[in-house]
Amino acid sequence: MVCVVARQQGRAKTISSDAQDIDAETGDPLPPILYRVEGLTKIYGAGVSAVQALRGVDLEIRSGELIVLLGPSGSGKSTILNILGGLDEPTAGHVWFEGQDLTALDGSALTEYRRQHVGFVFQFYNLVASLTARENVALITDIADDAMMPQEALAMVGLTDRLDHFPAQMSGGEQQRVAIARAIAKRPRVLFCDEPTGALDSQTGIMVLEAIQRINRELGTTTLIITHNAVIAGIADVVWQFADGMLAQSTRNRARVAASELRW
Amino acid sequence: MTGPVSLGWLPVLDRKLLRELWRLRGPALAIALVIAAGVGMVMMSVGMMRSLEATRDAYYDRYRFADVFAPAKRVPMALLPELAHLPGVRTSEGRITMSALIDLPYVSDPINARLHSLPAKGRPHINDLVLRAGRWPDPARPDELLANEAFLKAAKLGLGDDITVILNGKRRAFRIVGAVLSPEYVYAIPPGQIFPDNARFGVLWLQEEVLAGAFDLRHAFNELLVRVDPGTNVADVIRRIDDRLQPYGGIGGYARDQQISDRFVTNELNELRNMTRILPPVFLLVAAFLTHLVLSRLIDTEREVIGLLKAFGFRNRAIIAHYLKLAILLSLGGLVLGATLGIWLGRGLARLYQQFFVFPFLQFHLDADLFLMALLAALFPVLTGCFIAIRRAAALTPAAAMSPPMPTNYGGRLTGALTQLRSLDQLTRIILRGLARRPVRTLLTAIGIGAALALYIASASSRDNVEEMIRITFNQAEREDLLVTFTEPRGRDALTALARLPGIRRVEPVRAVSVVLTHQGISRREAITATDPGADLSRLIDINGTVVEPPIQGLVLSASLARQLKVGLGSAVEVAVTQGRRPRWQSHVVAVVDSAIGSPAYMRLDELDRRMMEGPRISGAFLAIDTDARAAILKALRETPAIAGITEVEASRLALRNTIAETMGIITLFNTGFAGLIVFGVIYNHARVALAERSRDLASLRVLGFRTTEVAYLLIGELMLLTLIALPLGIAMGIGLAHYIVSAFGGDLFTIPYALSIGTMARAVLVVMTAAGATAYLVSRRLGQLDLVAVLKTRD
Repeated sequence: MVCVVARQQGRAKTISSDAQDIDAETGDPLPPILYRVEGLTKIYGAGVSAVQALRGVDLEIRSGELIVLLGPSGSGKSTILNILGGLDEPTAGHVWFEGQDLTALDGSALTEYRRQHVGFVFQFYNLVASLTARENVALITDIADDAMMPQEALAMVGLTDRLDHFPAQMSGGEQQRVAIARAIAKRPRVLFCDEPTGALDSQTGIMVLEAIQRINRELGTTTLIITHNAVIAGIADVVWQFADGMLAQSTRNRARVAASELRW
Repeated sequence: MTGPVSLGWLPVLDRKLLRELWRLRGPALAIALVIAAGVGMVMMSVGMMRSLEATRDAYYDRYRFADVFAPAKRVPMALLPELAHLPGVRTSEGRITMSALIDLPYVSDPINARLHSLPAKGRPHINDLVLRAGRWPDPARPDELLANEAFLKAAKLGLGDDITVILNGKRRAFRIVGAVLSPEYVYAIPPGQIFPDNARFGVLWLQEEVLAGAFDLRHAFNELLVRVDPGTNVADVIRRIDDRLQPYGGIGGYARDQQISDRFVTNELNELRNMTRILPPVFLLVAAFLTHLVLSRLIDTEREVIGLLKAFGFRNRAIIAHYLKLAILLSLGGLVLGATLGIWLGRGLARLYQQFFVFPFLQFHLDADLFLMALLAALFPVLTGCFIAIRRAAALTPAAAMSPPMPTNYGGRLTGALTQLRSLDQLTRIILRGLARRPVRTLLTAIGIGAALALYIASASSRDNVEEMIRITFNQAEREDLLVTFTEPRGRDALTALARLPGIRRVEPVRAVSVVLTHQGISRREAITATDPGADLSRLIDINGTVVEPPIQGLVLSASLARQLKVGLGSAVEVAVTQGRRPRWQSHVVAVVDSAIGSPAYMRLDELDRRMMEGPRISGAFLAIDTDARAAILKALRETPAIAGITEVEASRLALRNTIAETMGIITLFNTGFAGLIVFGVIYNHARVALAERSRDLASLRVLGFRTTEVAYLLIGELMLLTLIALPLGIAMGIGLAHYIVSAFGGDLFTIPYALSIGTMARAVLVVMTAAGATAYLVSRRLGQLDLVAVLKTRD
């Protein structure tokens, strides 16, 4: 834990020496850029049935930011998350992750990218039903180079008393927190959450968001959350509003709301 | 990408059905293959069997095969009208039948011949001949003869060729003018043997006057052939004939089923029927079981759609009907494929066997009941399998199906125990828990794979069994080089004469006498073989390879003869000799031997001599010779008038292998082929369903950064583990099935020993492993096509 923080701080220090990245309003130094996206276009299908999911999106994601993506269905928010997560390839445009062009990578290189740098949290948890909470996390820590202990990750999401429970023996919220622990146990650079509260009631959903927020705060994990629930935007550093395949609006929150204060 | 095919004219559920079928074409093909293997096997086997039996019956009928054969020494022609009027006799004919040797200048091997007379006018009324080539002999040309086609082919003789026949010690030249088939010689089996040997045994039909002249049988015959009225008791007819022929040296008539060729044909057909009676239903059963397994799992994966349909207001009945239609369509392909394949192969096999048996024509039989049987056999498991699964799915409330499913609970005792194994990696743990969570399904799948393996082992075992039979017979029992048989029983001095020939290493006497054995009204015409104690060349060996010495007193019977006579150890059997002074006596069965091949009744030579009241007599001798002296010995033996037949054991061995091994080889090849198909079908089906069930987990793991190879381990590891569980099960079932097949085969002429070899089992395991390997390859290729994006949004 300590060493993680030290590592994050160390990186922040080197990049903070980059004098150009200063918040225009506050004058504070901005964290370094993790992703740079240029002219990202995605077209599904061809001919008359072609659907343009992304229409030349440009954006940047800075290290450690918590970003909430809002927008109606079909606005392109899932598509951009899939491409950033290395699950899909764009029709045109580029995505640079720490200077590396993801769009130039082949399938196995993308697998390695996901394996080393990316954590995913799914709407429907996608836990392996035959593994306990601890083992579901160990599934990932076994293949990661610098992972936490599974119980350490589960402690971060408040599940120390559920280590040896199978998914069927846990509530939806608990399952989703196991999924979060599984996603962050390998200390990924970035955490992608697609509708993490979509299948949960509000109280449980808030607990899950608290866990995500805590991870973002304590580990400095860059986090992207897709949601239909505009209330959640309150916990973000940056809120992206997608519409019709384009980034319609990007808002930086002056102050972040604690997840526990959210109500819907 | 093209849009969906327009199916607007169909009800919407049926449209869904057709598109589902297209989506499921992979599993559908595998299901079809398994059903096709089961159905095809039944159609092939039963079709072939019925055709062969119908062909044999038609052949016998059309060429008027005798119902009764009654050999005698010399019966005057004048007796024929009286014999013809015996009650039950429909037609009768007298002919001359003799043994002789054929001398071909370029063949050093001894060639035994059976000679039959042709009627002075016209064709035989009984045991008619099929003229395959050439013509009938010209009555004006006594040197013309007909020969059986198989012999001409094997001895490389053609029409117009001249051959020398040693008739009663005198050499005479003849010309071959026709090649024939006879219902009497579907198998031409040399005297004293039980296997055909066409190169060394010929059947010749000569004009009556030639044989009558050579054997001093003018106006007489020495064999009566009879066809009986339908519905007549053949035994009564034989008794009446025996009474009439006794004064003329009649040695007892016998019915067709005791005739050696018919016995052999029956034996071969029985063996075939045995293979077609036991294995195909097992095939069908296994196929049905597997189809059931696969279809019910397939329908389990449709659970959500079923809930959805119910939510839309479809009635349970409509949903069940919908999926039953799907199941029927899925299996219909297999049924049609199997039936077509089965009929085609059955016809081909029947034709192959027609050539093998040399039937002059083939009547291919395929009856509607067979179709119906296969249809029901294939549909029943499909329908029941689906019905249970659909009912289970349809029982869900729509809401339950529409809400996120509860993950399966793995908290049971069995899975809990596995949790303790800390050394396991998580993927292996997933595999183990998955299998342990559904022990019944795991076991059923393993049994399914095992059953396919067992079918392969049982199918392939018959080859081992025949090899073992040949090994026992020729390496342990028949160790002589030559068997010579005399024209008439002789004194023991004949042995001395034989031993004096240069190059003879050992000579052992043998006497065979024709007898009728009777026990509680059941009679069998057999030969008793008698040898000296301590015989070393020709020995009685039981099926386990143990030497059985003939006892001082009493009879040793083969297990099959004991079964026929319904006797056991200590039973008293009435022995009636049908030659010489025709002594009769009571003998006790002192041993019952399960022998592979061989004369079914044995006793000691000195005991037989005492009973025969003829002094020490032998009917032949076993010789061990120096190979270098073979040609000289054969030449000398052939020039000895007293010798009627010479048999080379090596030739018999080859003949045996050629006939039995070939008959069984063909069917074995097909059986193993079908078994291999089932092995592959089972394993592939399992893997495909497992992939469908696991696709969400697998895709999740891929999203989480697992490599394709790691994800493939989840499927392939499970498959391999199941296969490993299946191997011992399959081997055990295979051994059981092979044992059962051997025990179910009650051979009349020979008994097949059980001799499943390690090699066969290893091959079977290899077939399973290859199928598993190929499946692993095919399935891991599909892993590349997992939809990683869909898994983020959708639920099970």
